[in-house]
Amino acid sequence: MYLCFTRFARAERMLTVALGLAVCALFYAVPAHAQQQPAAPVAVAPPGPGEAEANDPFEKTNRAIFDFNNQVDKIVLVPVANAYRGVLPEPVRDSIHSVLQNLDEPIIFANDVLQARPDLASTTLARFVVNSTIGLGGIFDVASKTNLPFHSNDLGVTFAVWGFGEGPYLMLPILGPSNVRDAIGEGGDAYGDPGNIVASDNHYLWATFARGATQGVDERSRNIETLADIERTSLDYYATIRSLYRQRRAAEIRHEQSNTPNVGPLQGGSDAVTAPISYQVAPAPGAPPR
Amino acid sequence: MMRRLFTAGALAIAIALCAGAPRAQAQADATGFIAQLGGQAIQVLGPGVPASERLARFRQLFQNDFDVPGIGQFVLGRYWRTATPQEQQEFLGLFQEYIVEAYSARLGQYGGEPFRVTGNRPSGGDIVVTSQIIQKSGAPIEVDWYLIQAGGGFKITDVYVGGVSMKVTERDEFGAVIQRNGGQIAPLLAQLRQKIQR
Repeated sequence: MYLCFTRFARAERMLTVALGLAVCALFYAVPAHAQQQPAAPVAVAPPGPGEAEANDPFEKTNRAIFDFNNQVDKIVLVPVANAYRGVLPEPVRDSIHSVLQNLDEPIIFANDVLQARPDLASTTLARFVVNSTIGLGGIFDVASKTNLPFHSNDLGVTFAVWGFGEGPYLMLPILGPSNVRDAIGEGGDAYGDPGNIVASDNHYLWATFARGATQGVDERSRNIETLADIERTSLDYYATIRSLYRQRRAAEIRHEQSNTPNVGPLQGGSDAVTAPISYQVAPAPGAPPR
Repeated sequence: MMRRLFTAGALAIAIALCAGAPRAQAQADATGFIAQLGGQAIQVLGPGVPASERLARFRQLFQNDFDVPGIGQFVLGRYWRTATPQEQQEFLGLFQEYIVEAYSARLGQYGGEPFRVTGNRPSGGDIVVTSQIIQKSGAPIEVDWYLIQAGGGFKITDVYVGGVSMKVTERDEFGAVIQRNGGQIAPLLAQLRQKIQR
């Protein structure tokens, strides 16, 4: 009997993951036909050094999904996010945010470990212990106040650290910008997440969805002005979001939160950590002081 | 995440706005240059500054303290080489006004969070000054300033906020517009013109 139940629970979990992967596969497969069409005759000039291509072979499909997402965003997400912000005071929303973050810590820890980063892993573990106990399950982010700053981590980053490339850029329905590597990573994280496992073992699949929905509303409510501003000022909203996503992911893979030197992707030369140098600039002879 | 980035971006611009004042310090060193800007930013661009004032200050200071021709050339990327000299000049003018208008709106989001310079390092021909914006809650936001020496002072060539480069973002966007118009620059210029006039 018990066996039967666990198997059932497992099937549920598999279903969630399979759904996620199917979505990825769908958008990975469908545009393959489109790809065979001759490319638009653009490349007037070849890319210069450091000018990376956007790696977006499914751009046409991606843009269609992006338009769809924006419609859903305007009709559903933004009104809900506004209502959320209108109804709940900021401290309550902050608490919800840190509870959600606390639920993510186990999977962040797992990825810290998979990336062989004991420094990050120990911070995450300490955060989880502190916030789950003194912080009452994350209602209070005590850890951040005791020099244990939050960092995100996920399986997409782990794959990147292991040497996998990002693959084509993907715009996922509802979920937003991603790429093949990160989409698979997201499925893996959802599958391995202890919270999801507990929920599905107890047939509380709704809890997993509720958590996802709350995460979506929380995230969106924090970005209302920013995204509106980007949309208003950009010439090509899709291309701007694509650029921001790819740059941000690259920074996350470098684990830049900890102020480690970043490699300016366009500056070329190596940015190895060097001893701090003094920048005393001798005024040019005869140069008037400005 | 995005909101944090752009609040930081707003502060980055706010700080840049104040770059006019501390020129004497700018000659001393790059770190001092940015640190001084940070101190000034909070006074000059408190949340109470009217929008029109902000726009005017930003326009002047973007011209003075950013390497506008260098940034503009970078942003146009490979298409800079195929553009005519007139197109290049027109682009630089439009680009500058576009940046000023787009980012001065974001300045309104800056709420006066504390700012501190954390160090510096060389990167290619640039000097990178690293800094942090301390938030009420959450981890500090890393803001990296890329500077070149110019005329005894410094010019800002790029600002990285949370690992996102402002000039790379603009180049990706403008490049997409040009590509979607068959590699022509004229439609980009037309779109910029339209965006500015609104």
